[in-house]
Amino acid sequence: MTVTAEIQKLRKRYPDALSAVMPALQLAQADNGGWLSPDAIREVADALDLTPAYCLSIASFYDQYYLEPVGRRRIEVCTNVSCGLAGAQQVLEAFERELGISAGTTAEDGAYTLGTIECLGGCGWATVVAIDNRHRLRVQAHDVPGIVEELRGA
Amino acid sequence: MPEYPQIVFAGTDGGAVLDLDAYIESGGFSALRKARAMPPDDVIAELDASGLRGRGGAFFPTGRKWSFVPKPDQLAKPHYLVVNADESEPGSFKDREIMLRVPFRFLEGCLIAAHGIQSQHVFVYIRGEYEREFEILRDSLAAMHKADLLGGVTVVIHRGAGAYICGEETALLESLEGKRGLPRTKPPFPAIAGLYAAPTAVNNVESITTVTPVLEMGGAEYAKLGVENSTGTRVFSLSGDVVSPGNYELPHGISLRELIYDIGGGVPNGRSLKAVIPGGSSTSVLTADDIDTAMDFTSLVEAGSSIGSAGVIVIDDRCCMVQLGIRVSQFYEHESCGKCTPCRVGTKWVTQILQKIEVGRASQADLDVLLSVCDRILGKCLCPLGDSDAIAVLSYVDRFRDEYRAHIDLGRCPFDGESSLEGIVAPSAIHEHHGHETVRA
Amino acid sequence: MSSGPELVSVTVDDRQVAVPKGTGLVETALAAGIEIPVFCYEPRLGPPVGACRMCLVEIEGMPKLQAGCTLTVTEGMVISTSATSAKAAEGQEATLEFILVNHPLDCPVCDKGGECPLQDLTFRYGPGNTRMSFAKITVDKPIPVSPLIALDRERCILCYRCTRFSEDVAEDGLLIARNRGAHTEIATFADEPYRSPFSGNVVELCPVGALTSTLYRFDARPWEIQNVPTVCTGCAVGCNTSATIREGKVERILSRNHPEVDRGWLCDKGRYSYPHLCAEDRITTPLRRGPKGLAEITWDEALDEAETMLRGSAGSIVTAFSGSETTEIAYALGRLLRAGLDAHSAVLPESTSDVLEAFRLPLSGLAEAEIVVVVGDDPVVERAPIVDLWIKEARRRGAEVVVCSPTGSVPTAPGAGAKTCRELASSRGGLGTKLRSSERAVLIWSGPGGGGGARIAELAHELGFESKPGCGAFHLAAAANPRGVALGWAVAADADETNPEPIELLVVSGDEAASNPDVRALAEQASRVIVLTMFHELAGGWADLILPSTGALERDGTSMNLEGRVQRLRRAVPPPCPDELAWISKLASRFAVDLPPHFPGVFAELATELFRDLALDDLGPHAPLPTRQAYVAPEPATTPAPPEEAEALRLHRYRPLFSGPAVERVPELGFQRPLRDVELSPADAATRGISNGDAVVVRSNGTSATLHARVNKRLIQGVVRIADEHAGDLHPAVDVVKA
Repeated sequence: MTVTAEIQKLRKRYPDALSAVMPALQLAQADNGGWLSPDAIREVADALDLTPAYCLSIASFYDQYYLEPVGRRRIEVCTNVSCGLAGAQQVLEAFERELGISAGTTAEDGAYTLGTIECLGGCGWATVVAIDNRHRLRVQAHDVPGIVEELRGA
Repeated sequence: MPEYPQIVFAGTDGGAVLDLDAYIESGGFSALRKARAMPPDDVIAELDASGLRGRGGAFFPTGRKWSFVPKPDQLAKPHYLVVNADESEPGSFKDREIMLRVPFRFLEGCLIAAHGIQSQHVFVYIRGEYEREFEILRDSLAAMHKADLLGGVTVVIHRGAGAYICGEETALLESLEGKRGLPRTKPPFPAIAGLYAAPTAVNNVESITTVTPVLEMGGAEYAKLGVENSTGTRVFSLSGDVVSPGNYELPHGISLRELIYDIGGGVPNGRSLKAVIPGGSSTSVLTADDIDTAMDFTSLVEAGSSIGSAGVIVIDDRCCMVQLGIRVSQFYEHESCGKCTPCRVGTKWVTQILQKIEVGRASQADLDVLLSVCDRILGKCLCPLGDSDAIAVLSYVDRFRDEYRAHIDLGRCPFDGESSLEGIVAPSAIHEHHGHETVRA
Repeated sequence: MSSGPELVSVTVDDRQVAVPKGTGLVETALAAGIEIPVFCYEPRLGPPVGACRMCLVEIEGMPKLQAGCTLTVTEGMVISTSATSAKAAEGQEATLEFILVNHPLDCPVCDKGGECPLQDLTFRYGPGNTRMSFAKITVDKPIPVSPLIALDRERCILCYRCTRFSEDVAEDGLLIARNRGAHTEIATFADEPYRSPFSGNVVELCPVGALTSTLYRFDARPWEIQNVPTVCTGCAVGCNTSATIREGKVERILSRNHPEVDRGWLCDKGRYSYPHLCAEDRITTPLRRGPKGLAEITWDEALDEAETMLRGSAGSIVTAFSGSETTEIAYALGRLLRAGLDAHSAVLPESTSDVLEAFRLPLSGLAEAEIVVVVGDDPVVERAPIVDLWIKEARRRGAEVVVCSPTGSVPTAPGAGAKTCRELASSRGGLGTKLRSSERAVLIWSGPGGGGGARIAELAHELGFESKPGCGAFHLAAAANPRGVALGWAVAADADETNPEPIELLVVSGDEAASNPDVRALAEQASRVIVLTMFHELAGGWADLILPSTGALERDGTSMNLEGRVQRLRRAVPPPCPDELAWISKLASRFAVDLPPHFPGVFAELATELFRDLALDDLGPHAPLPTRQAYVAPEPATTPAPPEEAEALRLHRYRPLFSGPAVERVPELGFQRPLRDVELSPADAATRGISNGDAVVVRSNGTSATLHARVNKRLIQGVVRIADEHAGDLHPAVDVVKA
């Protein structure tokens, strides 16, 4: 099913079709390699009878919409207080070393995007690392080479 | 360690009940049957009797909240129940575990609440980062639908997309309506004009999940648990410098000492306890001297803090309290929606002053400005987000003033690079678009 | 029985005031003579948002300071503003300190300086210095939001007035807030221009110098300008405006809130076409066609020449009007030509039927409506843009809005409006019943035909609107003052129209007439042509005598808007050529017609004839609406021949808002003009294999036009729509094929 057709289904879930804009943007992003290009935003706007500008105002408000290309795998290390106390910075630096990129950037070959992220709601299982929005719990710096190897193998 | 009554997590044996039949076998949905046989007002009365108060952080009596929702004959609009599953307060991770382990008890609570406020429409707003939790709710809901348990009520699980502010109920409603998550001015309150300007009750996941056992055991019975003003159990999220972090369902009123030492196993590696954030990052910090504070609403207010979302962060003596301030302030700066001036500008300014103190370039005048800026945020914002930053930072300075002074007097951080939060990189530092000098904490 | 609303008694600082229950706190304080400063608060933008926190006040019984703008007062409320509450004063100073943290304080080079709310309020409520020791946020600036508007994001204080206007008033969804928190900024999508007919309002709404007009930037300072109150003649709404004048030149046009007419909004045509006064081809000296083409002559010579031409053509003169003339100019020309020369034949623009006087309503009545029905082929926004805003407001307040047009909610073929009216009149179900039972229903005719609103008047009569003061009917005329012009011409003499054949002399009044193809066709038949115009290009090729005319901003006069309201134009700048009334009076005297040479005199004559002795002073700064008149059945409709059923598509051409001689002379307005598009319904596009954006050829009987296809989901099948200026000579039946 096309994104446009799926969005039409989403509309019906809500008393007001405007409510479908967030899930619609999620769909369009997933369909577009993980980020919202101007054309992807236009597609959502068309499907919901909104303006692309309106959709941009929404997409740019929330952290989980990406307005620039992202790597094929997205690695986000929680660096909020509890993870920080458990060594999140060391985990982050381990990822930087292993991937050869610094936090906040995407590898040149487009394989990985590495970033930090605010509290993922896993403070008791620190450090939490989200890989493509799936959470790895209790990650320590010495776990990172294994994780990266696993990602490379996948 | 004594056995504590498990109410929210009853029947799980430390695991999860993800099978509908198993849940029904263990008595699941009897509360819903009971509730549906009652007039809606009696359901509300049961909640009143239970003394249940909101577990999201505001601690507002749940029954009273529902009683504010007009009856359908008073306001002929659709009524909505909106469940706040946007758990994002640093230190808090209980709702997540509730959805993971007792999804049916939670969804049963949704249906009971819907009956109580005479609503046919339930929306669960779950934060976008909760992928597994979303899948479990989706599958559980599908199973209930198949078993014809919904009784004509529609339940929509709506995923957020990464914005802490949507945990604020009016911002959540805006977001659910397909807008930017900007808090609304109140009045009107959601009970009167909430989702789509219609009567709406907004409740937290833990509160809603607790509704089920309240109906099962009766409000009066539930009220026997816990302490006065803070009845029942609470799922405490324990994290930070503690041997056994995790979620623990315990009666209100348990002491911080029991929680950290008896249950959490104390501070690891022989370090000493320095500070405790008792209710999520927006609450005032406590010191080791406050260790005998009881974890209930009144006791924490008396101790100068708040129970908040019961997310307890334990901090040992390795942590620089200026760095803690920076990291917490960076969080609020990053999550400020940008609607009102004091929060949008003030949270960033607070971070900047704290960074100046941390690197040893600040004077007493800077510290004075910091306190003044916090004061100028406090109570002036549209929603509690800005206040949270101010309250937290003011408490750090207030309780650890000597450490703040030391940064100024020494002209450097007294931890000499050895603080447990040393160098931590916040998203706000990465996302800084404007090319300022970024001072790492 | 109580009369009027319930009053509540409130204390503001040390003053008692009684206001109607539900009054806003800011308004209540104002009623007590106390100012509560605001930035984001602007009631015209909808519910308050409480964003800027400038209006913090202390309220007895409330522990925290409150944003006054978000509250309505209740009985016994005790409010302390910064004048009496140290806490409120501290709160307001805090807000200003925060606002100024990132504000560049470049007032000396800022256009807003001197008329800037931020500057004023900082002076009165703000801190004397800053405690901010960090670098301010700096960004690229200015950003061109459009060719008309520049955005300086450093100055922006994020009050969200502009985005709220875009989203909640114009409902265009084009100007947005992007990002979150401290990174929030005003933006458009992908750097596309803010292309809304109402875009300029955001400049006026901006309480700082963040949004400025590119046409005004760096041109003037508030202490060296004057504002002249006048009325826009860009369309039939007649928005009240102020012309900002510096050294005899119009520098900008601002709205001037007439609560019943425009509510302080103004479209970009009204706001930004003024540079046409200084267009390159502006004529200021009369021109006469001689053996070597057009040559400049003196005004004395021109009047002699005109006299000769008129005398030589007596009995077979036709006058063509634009419809944008002042009523006084039309009357003066009428006196000259009709009383002086018995030349009673005129080509008048599509006018508004007198019958509508029975259903008169202020435009603001639209906002109160519970049902609005629009009939006619043209989009309301292209004919009378502010009416579109009133309709949108009605819809936001819960009104049902039904549009019967080729792109409306009830898809209706072009030309079928009269039929729609008849159907509604006889309808006893659905919409007909709703209209009949409503106390607040409004009908609007938006398009050509329909007897200038006569058909909609018949419908209103059938629905019993005469006896319902909340119900009304409007006709959206294509010109600004067609009714005033027709009336002015009509009362100038008492004689029937003649139909001269052949035409000896054609007198063309004004630029719209000069650029009208029908008038040009008439000129082909005429032996001689006199054209009154501002622009050389419009008449240089075909006029025998060109008399320079003045622009609306250079005129004193009156104009009758689509409500039937007589409004006053004031001369903002002196014209570069003699005023029409002056030379027409001179010329008229040569034909023994006595005519005052100035506006007050002509108006006085007219007023006795036309306006039931209305005095000039009665018009005031905000002209009143005349009372309703009794219903008189209009001339019945002539049944038009049904369109031929053919495989071809029917061409619906419309005149866009952004068109005409003035707009064409402002390059900055170019982006607002219609794209070279042909709109097709999805079905018609599909059967022809045409997709959005395809180059297509539109063909009819030997002529064709190459345009871009735009698939319009709302367009009725079987019809294509093209803006007049791109439709060229196309016939009504066309086909569209991929290029």
